Order: sequence, then C-alpha cells, then structure tokens
Amino acid sequence: MELNPIITVNGLHFSYHKNTVLDGIDFSLHRGEVVSLLGPNGCGKSTLIRSILKLIHAKKGEILINGKMINDYSHREIARHIAYIPQYHNVPFNYTVLEMVMMGRVSKLGFFASPSKHDREIAYEALTKIGIDNLHSRPFGQLSGGQKQMVLIARALTQEVNTFIMDEPVSGLDYGNQIRLLELILELGSHGYTFLKTTHYPDHALLVSSRVVVMNKGKIIADGKPNEVITSEMINKVYGIGADLVSHDNRTYCFPVFNKGVL
Amino acid sequence: MTQIKTITLLSASMTALIMIALVSVLLGQYPIDFVTLMGYIDFKLFGGSVNDTYALLDNIILQIRLPRILLAILIGASLASSGAAFQAMFVNPLVSPGILGVLAGAAFGAALGMLISEQWYIVQILAFIFGFIAVGLAVLIGSMVTNSRSTIMLVLGGVISGSLFTALLSVVKYVADPYSTLPAIVYWLMGSLTMADLHGVLLVSIPMLLGIFGMIMMGKYFDILSLGDEEAKALGINVAMVRAVAIVLATLTSSLSVVMAGMIGWVGLIIPHIIRMAVGPSHRLLMPLSAIVGAIFLLLADSVSRLAFSVEIPLGIITSLIGIPIFIIVLKNARAAWN
Repeated sequence: MELNPIITVNGLHFSYHKNTVLDGIDFSLHRGEVVSLLGPNGCGKSTLIRSILKLIHAKKGEILINGKMINDYSHREIARHIAYIPQYHNVPFNYTVLEMVMMGRVSKLGFFASPSKHDREIAYEALTKIGIDNLHSRPFGQLSGGQKQMVLIARALTQEVNTFIMDEPVSGLDYGNQIRLLELILELGSHGYTFLKTTHYPDHALLVSSRVVVMNKGKIIADGKPNEVITSEMINKVYGIGADLVSHDNRTYCFPVFNKGVL
Repeated sequence: MTQIKTITLLSASMTALIMIALVSVLLGQYPIDFVTLMGYIDFKLFGGSVNDTYALLDNIILQIRLPRILLAILIGASLASSGAAFQAMFVNPLVSPGILGVLAGAAFGAALGMLISEQWYIVQILAFIFGFIAVGLAVLIGSMVTNSRSTIMLVLGGVISGSLFTALLSVVKYVADPYSTLPAIVYWLMGSLTMADLHGVLLVSIPMLLGIFGMIMMGKYFDILSLGDEEAKALGINVAMVRAVAIVLATLTSSLSVVMAGMIGWVGLIIPHIIRMAVGPSHRLLMPLSAIVGAIFLLLADSVSRLAFSVEIPLGIITSLIGIPIFIIVLKNARAAWN
C-alpha cells in the first residue's frame, strides 16, 4: 500500500434540509484497492460518492484528491483522475455505442477540438478490452441493461485514469450480468485499477473487494478486510436481519436467516 | 458516422442551399433568365459589359431579392441551430427556441416599439432587449429553487416568462390604435421577410453568424449535456458555463430573427428532428446540418410565400402550415431517433 492515498476524506459533514446525511466521515482510498461501500438505504453512501466527484458540496470537512483540495479542481481536472461509472440508464437521444464511448474523451480535448483518429482508436481499444467491440455501431438505446453497463465501463476506460467510482453497478441487471460485471471488476482490479463502489449485497463485497467499508446513519462503523468486517453481528446491526456466514473453498458466503413467525 | 460521410453530407447540403438561393434570385414577379443573371454578376464583380437592363436588375436583385434571400438563410439557420441546441441542453426533444420565453419577450418588445415610436430601429432594439429580458426572467425563476432538477425549473421559468410577455403583448394590442398600429403589430407577428434591406441584413448577419458558428462549435458538449447534469460534470464538463454560453448564443440569434422578421414558428422544432432521424443524434453533425437544412427550409418557405399566390402569404403562416404535418409524421417515426 502506498503512503499517498488517491482520495482522502477528513471529517466530512453533509446535511440536507436539516437531516444529517454524513456525520463526520474519515476515509481514504489507496492505489490498487477494490473498496465496497456497504450500508442500508439512506446511510449516506451515494452522498459520499457524489461529494468525492464534486457533484455536491459539503459544508464541513475536506476532500483531497492526490493530496490537493477538491475545491482547487475543476470538473475537467477531476475527470482526468477519476472516472465515474453511473448505473445504466436511458439517454433521450439514441447515440451509437462508439459515440457514447467517445464521450469519455471530452476531458482530454481542447475547447474547440473534435475527437481525432487517436481518440477513435482509444475508444475501439476500450470496447475490445471489455469484449464488446462487435457492438460499436449499435444504437445504445437498443442494448440490454448488461450491455449498456459494459459500454459505460468502456467509456470510463477511455478517460485513461486508474480510479473508478461506481454507484450500485449491478442494480437492475439479471443474475448472469451481475456476475459477469463482478468478474470484470475483479479482473480490472487485478490489473492495478482502483475501484470504489457502493453495493447492497454483502456477498458481492465478499466476492470482489480487497476492503469493505460499512456505513450506517451517516457514519463509518466498520472498515477492513471483507472477512473481518462482514459478520453476522454487523449484518444484524446494520440491516436488522439475521445472517449466517459460511466458508466453502476458501471463500466466505453470506446467507440470510429468516425470522420464524413473522405473521 | 465517419469523417468522410460527414464532409460529404455537409458539402452536398451546402451545394443544394447555394443552388436554391440562385434559383430564388431568378424567380419572382419579374422573372430573370440565367444568362442575364450571369452577365449581371460578371458586370458587377469583374467589370464586364454593360446592358441597359442592369439598372432595373440593381433594384430587383440588390434591393429586393438578395436581402430577402440572405435573411431567409440567416433566420432559417439561426432558428434550426438554436432549436437543436435547446433540445440538447434541456434533454428534451420537444423544446424549441420559444421555450425560454425569448419569442414572446421579443414580440412584446417589438409591439411596444410600434406603439411608442414611428422609428423602425426603436422597434428592433426593443425586440432584442425584451428577448433577453424574458430569458433573464426565466433563468431567475428557474434558479429560485436550486436542486438537481434545475433543468425542469428552467423550462418552467420559461413557460411563466413566456406567459407574462404574451399577456403584456395583449395589453399593448388592446391600447394600440385599431386603425394603424394594431394591424401593423398583427401583420408583423405573422412573420415576414418583406422588411429586409441589404444594409440591415449585413449588419445583423455578423452577430447571427457568430451565434450560429458558436453553437456549431459546441456540438461535442451538447452530446454530453444530453446525458444529464451529473454525468456531464463527472465526464469533465463545466455544465453551468456551457449552458450559459449556449443560452446566450441561442437567445441572441433567435431574438435577432424576431427583430428582422417577426414570429416564425416550427423551424426550430422540426428541422433538428428531421436531421436526427436521417443521420442520428450526434450533435457534431446535427448542429451544422440543422443550420444548413434550416436555411434551405426557410428559403423554400419564403419562395412559396412570394410566388404561390397573387397575394403574399405571411411567412410565419406558411412555416406553420408546412411544419405541422411534417411534425406529425416526425412524431410517428420518432421512436427510432430518441428513446
């Protein structure tokens, strides 16, 4: 682990209409980590991610990217350090896959410059790396959810950065595409890419993360190795349900336990 | 869309525009044949031999037809490119240059000018000023509530601002002299290029061309703005700045079009739709192609307005009558072009 973190968050507070969403967050992300942010709805995961991307501004606390205050960065400069991969979504205009992927290059282009042949090649490379180069001329709107998510990852790759932020990347995907996406994250992680992603699934955190951060009510309540952080007690405390953790083949799996007699 | 295809499409449509403009010069109540026109151009540009009809041609071509044709091209290109820009900025394929109240504001300004002054330049200046005031009001209302849905608030601000200036326009109409000023306001609002004079057209052509080219240059940013504010910011765009520049350029060009020719509807809405259906939504091609095809459309519509009937039909009426059926066809086929 390097000494200088990519992202450092110190004492971050955020409130929205007098509701405290983030209540003193201290967090850092180091090169090569695959970090899963776990926590129930409304715990502040997305708010933390959006603060790091400078999409919202916290009143108290500071965020540093590569040692520099986030307020000293423009969005263009942040995009040259961190790529955001949103949940797949619909776009009002039906761009082709290649056009969509090329949009990742905008932070690299001069104000009046058009994407060059070089930018086009980088876009093709990214599609090839993800294994979806055969889709390049298809309209984005006609792809399946899984394909759309892959296109958005390819777009992030064209930003030529090492750090990716994802907000609940598997949401809305079918089971096969969820697993394929996790596999891709694992593979990119093993190639040295850094990931910070939110997730609703302790199992997914166990499968691909090098580190798990658990948030509850605007605070970080646990931070460490997946096996050490994800325990029956933690799940019971954070989600209010029972869970068993079972080891098999050097892997740990999380099983929910139903409360008998709900009715 | 490959580079070659882009260049081919743009040069083909540009050639078509020039051809149609040349033919429009020939047609009218006093038809001119092609050989005479060539001789006249030769005389004007290269000092060729004189012909005794050239004094008449000076009047017909330089005073009447050329200003009108140039104005049609400028206004068609302005309205179509600002329509395409607004549709990208507000992530909504159904908005048009009127969306921020600019047309209503400019119309009120012009009517007010006709009410208080006989001077035509007062009318034009007031139209321009109130076009900007209407947009400023829309932006002010839109920014009163600051949250992530600010685009919707901005459109709502435009609706409110537009309604206000439409109401104020009614007040002006109500107090205007029903025998002189009121008919002048009503005819002017129907939209027409008959007021075009060469000097005025050349004067407005500078800011209008700057606005059109500015919007064309912003094509790659419009692609990204259409993904929504948060994603655009995360991709590295200064959303507030890009949007402000685009609003200023679109307001500038569409206010000037109202200043020169009154209310001409539908061009800004249908032309970007037609282009999007034909070549796809990427704004790097959509913007320049919309400008050229918008110019062709308005030039053709103005030719119909000049030539089709013994009495000239106001241009705004022609664009509506042509635009509405086209828009219905577009809506029917629109699903392929936008989700």
